[in-house]
Amino acid sequence: MSRAAPGPEDRHAGGPGTDGAGAGCAEAVVDTARPAGRVLAALAGLREPVVWILLAIAFFTAISGKPVDGVLMLLVAVGLAWDAGRRALRHSDIPGAARAAGAAGAAGAPASRAGGRRRVILASALLAGGAAYAGVVGSFSRYSWPVTACIIVLGTIVVLIGWHGPIRARPEGGRLPVAGALAWVAVLVAGCLWELGALLEQPSITTDSYAHPTISTLTDPVLAASPGRAVVLLGWLALGWYLVER
Amino acid sequence: MSSHDVTIAGYLVVLALIVLLQVLATRTRAPIPSLGDMLTRAMRSRTGRVGVLVAWAWIGLHFFAR
Repeated sequence: MSRAAPGPEDRHAGGPGTDGAGAGCAEAVVDTARPAGRVLAALAGLREPVVWILLAIAFFTAISGKPVDGVLMLLVAVGLAWDAGRRALRHSDIPGAARAAGAAGAAGAPASRAGGRRRVILASALLAGGAAYAGVVGSFSRYSWPVTACIIVLGTIVVLIGWHGPIRARPEGGRLPVAGALAWVAVLVAGCLWELGALLEQPSITTDSYAHPTISTLTDPVLAASPGRAVVLLGWLALGWYLVER
Repeated sequence: MSSHDVTIAGYLVVLALIVLLQVLATRTRAPIPSLGDMLTRAMRSRTGRVGVLVAWAWIGLHFFAR
């Protein structure tokens, strides 16, 4: 498995606005020769919708009685904002160097030459590791420190992998149909709002409601037993692997 | 129909819409991207990629961690 050479953010460094739709690109050109320009660049991360979404998740998670989750989300949001600001500074300071580095990386990107046998062995090892992880972690009680540590460690590893870029090069792809993309956004936002509505209808934010169950409440019976937890953990791992491969 | 039923019906409607969009995207020529295409597009930038992976990690934390 080879790490892909420069991610989109690196390409942006070589030419602002090269991302077709431009969504999610905070590396705006800022005149860092002036102090105000540096401040604006440092705050570039706050223009990222993802940062605000993570801050909102951190807030709602913390007030719903999960301070560990809230702090972790807050850390990632601040880290992302800082990273985007840092890249905005570097972007306007050394565009030529970044472009050269990007081009060199692209030229030296190792093609994926892993043989079929190697891939099978890797897939088998991941499958066995995932099953062992799900079995062991699923055997721990929910909300215990052992399961918390296992989830945090794996989550941190996966996020760090993603932070460094995609693990293999993927075709750029064209622009998405706007209407179709908006349909997805509408459905997913509607789902989130429905869940939020149920959460706010509870007697208190930390007390479950039979009349207005959240998804967490509905999944409690499944996650009450060890086999159920192991199966759900396997699904969570599979989803994580799918996302890392994107 | 109780509040409980209405709440669950809402989740089922959202789930049905997700399945419908995915089927339209993958089985017809409708100009609708698949969920995978949406995720790939969202993950083209670093913040998008990290945001999606953090959302995944949050699911694990939310359902299992204290």
